[in-house]
Amino acid sequence: MKKFPLSKIKMKMERELELYFGPQHIGMVGNFSITLQVEGDKIVKASANPGWLHRGFEKLMEYRTWIQNFPMVCRINVIEPDSMEMVYAMAVEKLAGIEVPERANYIRVIVLELSRLASHLFGCWAYANMLGFDTVAQWAMYHRDLILDLFEELTGARVYHIYIWPGGVRRDLPERFKDKVLNTLHTIGSCIPDYDAAFFNNRLFYKRAKNIGKITKEQAKRLGATGPILRATGLKYDIRKIDPYAMYEKIDFEIPTREDGDAYSRIWVVRDEMIQSVHIIMQCFEKMPEGEVYNKVPNPFKWKIPKGETYVRVESSRGELGLYLVSNGKDKPYRVHFRTPSYPHGLVLLEKLLENASIADVGNIMISLYVVAPEIDR
Amino acid sequence: MNRLKEEIISSFKGAKVSICEDNRLAILARKEDVFSILNFLKDKGYDHLELISCVDWINEKEFELVYILTPYSEKEMKEHIILKTRISREKPEFKTIIPVFENAKPYEREIHELFGINFEGHPRLTHLFLERDYKIPPFRKDFNTREYVKEFFEKIPFVEDKNENGKRA
Repeated sequence: MKKFPLSKIKMKMERELELYFGPQHIGMVGNFSITLQVEGDKIVKASANPGWLHRGFEKLMEYRTWIQNFPMVCRINVIEPDSMEMVYAMAVEKLAGIEVPERANYIRVIVLELSRLASHLFGCWAYANMLGFDTVAQWAMYHRDLILDLFEELTGARVYHIYIWPGGVRRDLPERFKDKVLNTLHTIGSCIPDYDAAFFNNRLFYKRAKNIGKITKEQAKRLGATGPILRATGLKYDIRKIDPYAMYEKIDFEIPTREDGDAYSRIWVVRDEMIQSVHIIMQCFEKMPEGEVYNKVPNPFKWKIPKGETYVRVESSRGELGLYLVSNGKDKPYRVHFRTPSYPHGLVLLEKLLENASIADVGNIMISLYVVAPEIDR
Repeated sequence: MNRLKEEIISSFKGAKVSICEDNRLAILARKEDVFSILNFLKDKGYDHLELISCVDWINEKEFELVYILTPYSEKEMKEHIILKTRISREKPEFKTIIPVFENAKPYEREIHELFGINFEGHPRLTHLFLERDYKIPPFRKDFNTREYVKEFFEKIPFVEDKNENGKRA
C-alpha cells in the first residue's frame, strides 16, 4: 500500500467549530434550529434557522373567504390559539364595521385570560422540564390540562377552539360554567405556595437562571422585544393598558415588572402575570351583563368587505401580536401579515443573547425567551 | 398628532399625510424620503418598529412597502404610524433600514425571500423559510400555486411506477 505523505494534509489550525443545534437535538424544544460557532464551549456566533414549520398560511389565506380563514389562523400559534383568533376577528370587525355586544367582549376576555394562563403554565412546564425540575413540570402540565377541560366544555375542542368570531363569540357560556372556572382557578391558586417553594424560590433554580440571558432596557427596545421579556427589564409596556381592546379598559389589574432583565426575572414576571389573569377572570364574571353574545354577520359565502387596510394588536402571552390586513373589496383578503412576538425574539434577540454564552445555556436562554417556532414560520 | 402631521408636511415635500379615524397616521412617502422620515419619527419617540410588510399591487405594477411604528410608552397611547412607499415591480430594489432599526433584519430578509425585493446593504439576504429558489417569488400575486403544484409534485413518481431495473423512473 502506498503511503500517503502526512505532510500533504493541510493542517489548518482552526479553533472554531460549527455546531448544528436542532431541530433534532435533545436540548432543543420546538421545531427550530440554531447554527453555532463555538470555541471550546463558548459560543462565538449564533445564527437562527427557522422554516421547519413554514406552511405559508399568509398566502393560503388569500385564497379563502374571510370566515374560512379561521381554522388556519388559530394554527399559527399552537400553544395559545385564542389570541390569534382574537386579532383576526378584531381586524375583520374593524374593516367591516361590526359591533360586538358587551357580554361577548367579557366572554372574550375570559377566554383570552384562560388561554394566557394555559400558555404560561405550558411555558413553566417547558422551562422546568429543561432544567430538570420534573415534578414542577408535571404539576404545570396537569394544571394546564384542567384549563383545557374547561375549553372543551365551552367550545367543544381542547386546543384549536375557533370560538371567537367576527361579531362576538360562537355561543353563550354553558350552565354553571362560572362555578367550574372558579373551582379550577381555586385548585391552581392553592398550589401557588407549592410552586414557589419547589420552583420559583428554589435555590437551584435561582443559581441556574440568575444572570442568564441578561439584557438592558435599551437593548430590549432596540431589538424590538415585547411582552414578559421587555417587562422583565422594567418597562411597563402592555397592549392591554396602552391600546385597550375588548373590555380591558373597565378591568382593574396591574402589570408586573422586574428590573434585572435576566431569565430569572422573566419567569417571575410570568408567574405574577398568571396571578393577575386570575384576578381579571374573577372581575369579568362579576361585571358581566346578560344579553346577546353574537351580532349576525352576512352570509359568509357572499360576504364582501369594503376596501381598506388596518393594523390591530393584542397582548398575547409572549408579547405584542399584530395583524396587518388589507382588503380590496372582494370576498377574500388581499394581504394578511401577522406580527408575531416570537419573530423578533427568536431571530434577533436570541442571536444577540447567545453570543459569549456557553453551550449548556442555549436551551435555557431559548426557553426563557419563550420562543414558539410555528409562530415565527407561519 | 396634528402637530406631527404638519411637521412632516413642512419638512418632507412630497409626502402625503392623513389621519385616519382609528388613531392612525398614514404617510405615503417618496422612496428617497423613507430613510430620513424613519429617522425623524424615531427622534420624535416612535422608537418601536413593529412590522415591515409588503403588498403586491399587481394591477398598478408596484410593490408597497409598509412600515408600522409605535412608541414604547408606559401610558395609554393608541397612536400608530403606517409609513408606506411604492417601488416599481420591474426593478424591485430598496435601501435597507437596519442602521435606523436593528430589528428590521429578519423582516427584510423575509420580504426578499417571499417577494423578491432586493435590500441594498443588508448583510444577510439568504433564505429564511424556503429551501429553494423559485422562478417567481411565491408571495407575488402572479405566482400560480396550482401550476406550481402540478409541475413540482407530478414529477415525483408513485412507488409502484418503477421501471424494469427496479429503479424509479
